[in-house]
Amino acid sequence: MAWLGTWWRLLHFAVLIVATALTPASYGGTHRPALARRIVIAAAPNLLWFTVLSALVSLVLIRIVVVTALSYGLSRFALEMVVRVLVLELIPLTAALFVALRSTLPAGVEFAQQRGAGGLYPGTTINSAALLHSEFFPRVAAGMFAVWLLAAVSCVLTLVLAYLSLYGFTPWALQGYTRVVGQVFDPSVALILVLKVVFFSVAVGLIPMASSYYDGIGSRLRATHGLSDMVRLFSLILLIEVASLMGNYY
Amino acid sequence: MTEPTIPAATIPPEPPPVRNAEFKAAMLLVLMFVLVVGSVLYLMYARGAFESTQRLVLQADDSDGVSVGMDVTFAGFPIGRVRSIELGADGKARILVDVPRKDAHWLRTTSIFTLERGLVGGAKLRAFTGLPTDPPLPDGAARALLVGDAGAEIPHLLSAAKDLLQNLTALTATDSALDASLHNVEGVTGKLNGPSGAMGLIAGDDKEAQKLLARANQLVTTMNELAHKTDSLIGNADRRVFGKDGVMTDTQATIVQLNGLLADARASLKKMDAVLIEAQAVGANAREASADLGSLRAEVESNLRHVEQLVNEINRKWPFKHDTEIKLP
Repeated sequence: MAWLGTWWRLLHFAVLIVATALTPASYGGTHRPALARRIVIAAAPNLLWFTVLSALVSLVLIRIVVVTALSYGLSRFALEMVVRVLVLELIPLTAALFVALRSTLPAGVEFAQQRGAGGLYPGTTINSAALLHSEFFPRVAAGMFAVWLLAAVSCVLTLVLAYLSLYGFTPWALQGYTRVVGQVFDPSVALILVLKVVFFSVAVGLIPMASSYYDGIGSRLRATHGLSDMVRLFSLILLIEVASLMGNYY
Repeated sequence: MTEPTIPAATIPPEPPPVRNAEFKAAMLLVLMFVLVVGSVLYLMYARGAFESTQRLVLQADDSDGVSVGMDVTFAGFPIGRVRSIELGADGKARILVDVPRKDAHWLRTTSIFTLERGLVGGAKLRAFTGLPTDPPLPDGAARALLVGDAGAEIPHLLSAAKDLLQNLTALTATDSALDASLHNVEGVTGKLNGPSGAMGLIAGDDKEAQKLLARANQLVTTMNELAHKTDSLIGNADRRVFGKDGVMTDTQATIVQLNGLLADARASLKKMDAVLIEAQAVGANAREASADLGSLRAEVESNLRHVEQLVNEINRKWPFKHDTEIKLP
């Protein structure tokens, strides 16, 4: 039952965050600097490294797919496979995991520790609604935004790399390439991709913050708290991925 | 039970404030906006959202293998895209194809459309235009789709292969013609290996073979005698030709005589040569003489003219000159 309780609290927190997100006051005035700072902290350091890493992995995978397809005489299907495997499946998943491991999970543990130690606004007592606006919402929004940005950058980069490694530096294959990409991204596939990235970002942004919102001050040991967040996050990401695969291929 | 307390040292410090955080965040937002909008526009362009198209309806008995979004190719170039597939009122599949107007001129009223299903890979929709000068295909035209199916050929191929195998089995069965022929061949080779060998094979049974052999022996003996006779004949001929008083000796004497005759002929020819030189000289003289003869003739002619003038003169002066005038009555 405790397990069910945590998921219920997660849902409750999600609703609170959505309500905050729909409040214009969350983006203006006093909250804007904090939001901007969180977004920069979550997205900027990861952007360069993730772009480099995803470009390398993409190049290796593109090469493997192209060479294998060529050896079976199926090279005209190589591009479609590259786009499907990398852009539709691997890159969003990797972006979500990267942001979770590098940014939101550590930040969640960190934040919970600060709260637990009373390091946050020492000497003052503030209600949870104000805390939601000033501390939780910027962190959640920054995590979500980081997933979107990383996924968008690396998807576009992978499309460019796929073109370059298949055809080289020539503009003449662009029309055929565009046609294949257009065939892969039919409306349902594009919608599933967008939904998948959105759900990944929601999971990555919300789960690490949700537990520290409810756990309050020192209810459990912080180490187990971070671990259970991670397990919850990964299981949710797995579920989303499975759902997207079923949507795409069944 | 006491609450677990966290030592102050393990509490991570608040990250340092970011300079120009709002500007950087705005840049990141703009970057993502550009990427997302650019991707959306590119995908819309890739799916032909900005092209003006015309509709083409392809009708087929079976639309198996055709999927929404697949290309219609002309000479290997994609010129159209399947927009939707529906079942028509006549029970035929109607494949609705959007052809961009800039590519529509490849399709003419006489164009043919085929659906090919290969063994590997998806089906292919192809257009063929035989006469590019025909009138262009109108918007919304409906055409029949010809279906060429490599997969459908497999049952035919299998039945043909089965027939072939049956024929082969019948051919190689124990009581088949081939088997009988092979048996005969075996008998023939057996005879060839037998005591009478190839002769027995030709003659049939052994008795005949022996007769044949005896005759062949006689023939060989006769041939031998004939060879002896021929030998002696050649000896005689040799003697007649190359022996003493033989043809060759006579021939040699004749050749010696002929040699002398030739020497005489050469002397005669030399004399003849001299005669010819003489004749040449005579000819030269004759030429000179004939030149003189020319001048002589000229002289004679002038003398004759003088004589004639003289005669005329005498005739004029002669008193008994005939009156040559003819008087008409």
